[in-house]
Amino acid sequence: MANLLEVTGLTTKVAGFTILNSLDFSLEENELRTVLGPNGAGKTTLIAMITGQYKPTAGKIYFAGEDITRMAPDKIFLRGIGRKFQVPNLYETLSVFDNVLVSLQADRKVLRALFRKVTAEDADRVCDILEFIGLADKANDPADTLSHGERQWLELGMLVASNPRLLLLDEPTTGMTEEGKRQTADLIQKIAQKHTVLLVEHDMHIVRRIAKKVTVLHQGRCLAEGPLQEVVENDMVRQIYLGKGHFR
Amino acid sequence: MIPWWALIGGVAVVAAIGSYPYYGTSTYILALLGKFLCYGIFALSIDLIWGFTGILSLGQAVYFGTSAYFVALSLKINYAIEHPTRYGGTIPDFMEWNGLTELPGFMEPLMSTPFAVVLALVVPTLMALLFGVITFKRHIYGVYCAVITLAESLILQEFIIEYQAYTGGFNGITDYSNALAWSFFGESEVRGDDFLWFMLGITVVCVVTARLITHSRIGTVLKSIRDNDVRAEFMGYNAANYRIFVFCVSAFMAALAGAMYASWVGLISFLDTGPVFSIEAVIWTAVGGRGTVIGPIIGAFFVRGAEFFLSGVLADYWQLIMGGLFIFVVLVMRDGIVGTIANWIRWYRKATLAQMIEETDRRAHDRQLDWQPEGTRKAGEDPV
Repeated sequence: MANLLEVTGLTTKVAGFTILNSLDFSLEENELRTVLGPNGAGKTTLIAMITGQYKPTAGKIYFAGEDITRMAPDKIFLRGIGRKFQVPNLYETLSVFDNVLVSLQADRKVLRALFRKVTAEDADRVCDILEFIGLADKANDPADTLSHGERQWLELGMLVASNPRLLLLDEPTTGMTEEGKRQTADLIQKIAQKHTVLLVEHDMHIVRRIAKKVTVLHQGRCLAEGPLQEVVENDMVRQIYLGKGHFR
Repeated sequence: MIPWWALIGGVAVVAAIGSYPYYGTSTYILALLGKFLCYGIFALSIDLIWGFTGILSLGQAVYFGTSAYFVALSLKINYAIEHPTRYGGTIPDFMEWNGLTELPGFMEPLMSTPFAVVLALVVPTLMALLFGVITFKRHIYGVYCAVITLAESLILQEFIIEYQAYTGGFNGITDYSNALAWSFFGESEVRGDDFLWFMLGITVVCVVTARLITHSRIGTVLKSIRDNDVRAEFMGYNAANYRIFVFCVSAFMAALAGAMYASWVGLISFLDTGPVFSIEAVIWTAVGGRGTVIGPIIGAFFVRGAEFFLSGVLADYWQLIMGGLFIFVVLVMRDGIVGTIANWIRWYRKATLAQMIEETDRRAHDRQLDWQPEGTRKAGEDPV
């Protein structure tokens, strides 16, 4: 089966510093892949490259067989790739409901938006998503009144609304409480049942909870890849990332 | 839709202005009312791009002024033909003073006032389209875009002053007010009130259109582009296209205001195309309430009205007072007049929040009970 996402030889050099170094990476359809690595390993850069924010110096990115290396971000999104940012990017003055509504999967063209009405199905779907992420009681509050954890969930909800094939989640549990992180982990697992998910995480408890196949990046290269248990016992990974202590 | 009190308020205001010719006694105030309507539409056009989409344009008067000049030139040319000077000249006076002996060839199409009005509306919109494609497609927004619009405005102003043989230069275009644009409708004589009602009608149409745009799906997209264009782009919205669209609509509205202004006031100069006028309109929008539809119109009426009133009553201090007013608005009433009132209403409604929460909970509970599974979706299944 052909891979959904295929990254070959991806290299980025910025001001003489190599962030991604001929990276090879691939994802299968409906997979939940966790990407680990120390800061500066290139995890966020990889996501930025895939979504078209930066263009690589060398290498190619294929999504469902199509070359998306040099496409504009909004076109890449329309191919079915959704991105969740490390720091939640929301529409601050719009209500929670409107944030999700505007992200609903729909034609993005100007003239369509001019004449499109909000149907009952749209409203129902938004309500369902709000209940899914646990923000149904805050539907009419402006996005800038939410707590940090709620903002992360809202952005997750916006992504779910846009129904992408591949979700790129960049550290979605940052700044949350333990309970919040567990809830987020459950949400991600549910999302992963129907979509392909690339999850970048630092919190090893969450990783242990939901990770299946893991890729460890280091200095722009793939250091180790495989089931979580194998990778965790890999000596090099322990040395560079996990530390010498025993990981339980 | 539109709340009942807004509808009644709007009808009342329109009636009050529209019936002024009957109960009013001052032609000066009649003239002011007409001017203020034009200013209001102009400020509304700025609010569309600034309050709702986050594009600050410091040169919106380019579209207002270009349109005004097209109409004014056409009226002046026709006036000169019908009222030859004692030497028999039938071209506008500023052309004679600059040594022209006959109407320049490229200005002959302006002899037809309806055509001039069409040009006055279409040319600024095309200019806006060109500007939008050049700047927004290259992801130039924010401060840089504002500076470019400022430069555009200054350039047009200088251009008009320079080519005084064709534009009347520093003195502008004057003395054509007896032949109003009403000839567009086939009548040669018009009383002031007919045109006032026409302008009032156009104002209502603009307000309704603005409301339809901003409260529709596209309005939400524009607001999301204003709030976070990175997120919008990564959510599949081509921010440049949306910005270009609203910029063109806004330029058309400004052109509409300019064309009416030229016909009503009877005097157009380079000042109406320059950055000072543009920035004044931004101030009216800010004072009235940006991000609202009637805010800019209220702001235009209020600020301009205050200026006219105060300059008559306190000739020495009115500018000081206007400055104090602007500082007050920035410090205390950041959302403008309309915005602050809306905030008060919302704050008052929050006092009954507990009731609202109860109501929402009850409704959610009822929805769950009524909900029937449809098709393949099972009860309790995640919406993913």
